[in-house]
Formats: sequence, C-alpha cells, structure tokens
Amino acid sequence: MSIKTSILSSIGQKLLLATSGLIMFLLFLIPHMGGNVLFLFGPDMFNSYAHHLHQLVPIVIGIELLMLTSISVHMIMAFRVVLANRKAADKRHTLKSSKERSLAARLMPVSGIMIFIFIVKHLLDFKFYEKAKTTLHGVETYDVYAMVLSRFQGDPVHLVFYVLFMVAVGFHLSHALQSSIQTYGIYVPREGSKIKLISAVVGWGMAATFAIIPIFAFIK
Amino acid sequence: MSKQINLTLKVWRQNRGEEGKFETYEAKNIDTDASFLEMLDVVNDELTLKGIEPIAFEHDCREGICGCCGSTVNGKTHGSHERTTLCQLHMRHFEDGQNVVIEPFRATAFPVIKDLIVDRSGLDEIIAEGGYVSVKTGNAPEASTTPIKKEMAEAAMDAAECIGCGACVAACPNGSAMLFTSAKVSQYALLPQGHPERAQRVKNMVAKMDELGFGNCSNEYECAVSCPKGIDVKNIARLNREFIKANLGKN
Repeated sequence: MSIKTSILSSIGQKLLLATSGLIMFLLFLIPHMGGNVLFLFGPDMFNSYAHHLHQLVPIVIGIELLMLTSISVHMIMAFRVVLANRKAADKRHTLKSSKERSLAARLMPVSGIMIFIFIVKHLLDFKFYEKAKTTLHGVETYDVYAMVLSRFQGDPVHLVFYVLFMVAVGFHLSHALQSSIQTYGIYVPREGSKIKLISAVVGWGMAATFAIIPIFAFIK
Repeated sequence: MSKQINLTLKVWRQNRGEEGKFETYEAKNIDTDASFLEMLDVVNDELTLKGIEPIAFEHDCREGICGCCGSTVNGKTHGSHERTTLCQLHMRHFEDGQNVVIEPFRATAFPVIKDLIVDRSGLDEIIAEGGYVSVKTGNAPEASTTPIKKEMAEAAMDAAECIGCGACVAACPNGSAMLFTSAKVSQYALLPQGHPERAQRVKNMVAKMDELGFGNCSNEYECAVSCPKGIDVKNIARLNREFIKANLGKN
C-alpha cells in the first residue's frame, strides 16, 4: 500500500479532514475569538488590537494561506467522504437511528455548508469593505470598531443571520472536536465521556462567544 | 406462561437482480416462547400450504453464536433488544396484533440474494486480507511459553466475540464496516502472535474494506448499539491507531 493509497483510504481521508479542521480551530478560531472579545472593551482596545494585527502582516498572510489550504482540503475531503457514505448506505426503507446518533453528528454536512456560506459573507462584510480612519494615541489607523457597529446597528436581519450561523458553528464544533479525537485513535467512549462533554462545552461556548459580538454591537 | 399471539408481518420480498417490495402476511397463533426465526418457520409452513413461495432467510446455529441470522426488524438490526441476535429474540417481546416490518440488512456492499438473505461475503474478503495469523503449525506449544497480560487477553477475547453478522454495517448511517474490521484487527493487535504481521494486516484489511464500497466511519456509534455481541467503539479507536502507526512505519 503506497502513501498515496493510504492518504486516500477511508481512514486517511478522515485524518486529513480532522487535521485540517483542527488547524483551523487552533490557529484561526481561537485567536479570532480572543480578538473579537476585545470589542466588548470599547473602541480603543479593539482598534489597537486591529492596528497591532496589521503590523504583523507577513504572519497574517502566512496564516491566511494556511487557512485557505486547510479549508480547501477540509471541503474536498468532506465532499468525498459524504458522497462515498451516501453511496455505501443506499436504499434503506425502515432503518431507524438510535438515540446514540446526535443531532450534531447528523447535521455535519449541513452545518459545514452553512459555515462556508457564512465565511464568504463575513469576508465581504469586514475584510473586503472600505474602512474609515481614526486616530489612536496620535497614530492614524482604521476604525474597525465603528465599522462593526455600523454593520449591525439598526439591521436586525443581519444580526439574526450572524447568530443563526453561529448556531451552525456550535453544532459543527461540538461533534467535530470529539470525533477528530476518536479518528486520531484516542478512545472516546459511548457513555459518560469527558471528551464528549468538553467537546460540547468548548464548541457551544465558542459559538456563544462569537454570537455575543453582533448582539452587543446591535444593542449598543 | 406462554400464550399465543397474532401478528401482521410486512416482509421484504426480492429475487436477485430484480426490484423488491414489501408483502403483507398474517402470522397466526404464534407461541410467545418461540424465537423470531421459529415464528418465520411457522409463517413459511402456512405460505407453503397456500402455494406461496416461503420467505428466504439465513440461519444456522440458532444459538446466537454463528453470525448467520439477522434482519432489520421494525427499524432495528436484530430487532430492538440490545445484545441479542435475531434467533435469540423471542416472541414474548411482541404484542398481540402488532405490526412487524422485516427488511434485510441493507448496505450497498451487501446485495440482496433473495428476500432477507444478503451477500455478506465482503466481510470474508476483508478477513482474507489479514484476519489470521500465519504461524507454523505443528505440535501445540507449551501454554506458558508466551506470557500475556490478563487485561490484554480479555480485551482480545472481547474483540474476538464478533460473529461477523454484519449488523454494524446495516446500522451504520454510512454502511461502514469499521466496527467489524476493527474487531478483527484488534484481536490480533492485542496478542503477541499477531504482532509480526501487524502493519501489513491493518493496511490490507482497510484497503479491502474501501475497495468493496463500505462507507467511512463518522463516529456516530450506531454500530456499537446494534452489535449483538457488544463490540465496543474502543476497537475503532485502536484500528485508527494501528493504521496511523503502520503508515508511520512504527509497527
């Protein structure tokens, strides 16, 4: 069995799926969440964070390229795995799922596609959007705080869109984290598993933290 | 005390290569002490007397140890009782007048041969790729020559409990044979006799599993719920580990 066939085997593809997902979780979602939380501490804090991030452009571009690679690998593997699975489990008339099968697990392809739509929308909203300038401690910088405020204030539809898509993130992460651990060969038991519990708490906690930002911007 | 019940069966009827459909039959005066397969025997006797072709279903030991029997009954593989093969499912678990829907074990890798009988030879093909130990035969060695820890021996025995019935494949939302393959890989990975061929075994068995069109594991654990022998998903974690180690050249 060559390396190529190993990588494209069922377990190989799932390892790629798990690894690309974990890279995005560790190197993008966690820092992004940390940065977003600073929004709650006012314009100076948030604009200063954005200003410092802009000083690190080479690293940021490196991370962006890594994210682009990861999301591509993640989506290609997900499509391959899901299509193969649909084909392998065909023509069942009466089979019922047990309570073992979580809603989060069942919704993985749906929540994944929702997250992709969200990422496109989110980039159009904030990354590829003209930003006003402001002065911070005598230095001219982008006023990202005002931008976030302007995108949500008086726009409940936009707010609902963001919160709804964070629910998809919660579902996706709560299954993804524990599932990737089992794929790496670390036993995640069926019942009373701490890993399953931590996975749900981290996944939903992260989704809730992200959702607080647009809610805060809307009501402020 | 046994009693007699009547049931309405909806049974999948199909000839190889043809389209199948559900047919309805009455199962009358079924003793509640009878097993599910004995109930089908009674129904088949009546169908034969009426000139209808009896329902084809697979069975052998009827003691829950051979792995021959199995159908999806009311949406559950081997019926709704945990850790029970269909032959060991008794009619006392059914209500008088109940509707019972019987479908073969479904997976693309398990084509229907006839009615409730499916071709599970894919599982045998996976075994043929390495589900054995190629040792020199000869006189049985002294029992204590190879010391094995009790926990290891027990874990290997737990994995070896798999009877290869295919319920895990039929219950998996992806028609995956990961639980089956993981049980077979585990029983050898846990014992010293299995170690010389360890890396080659896991690579070849996984490759065959993929080639035959079984799906991928999405860690939803339906397989473990459906397993009449209680094979745990711990084995799937071990299979993943064995596969990673084999490809990193660590075995």
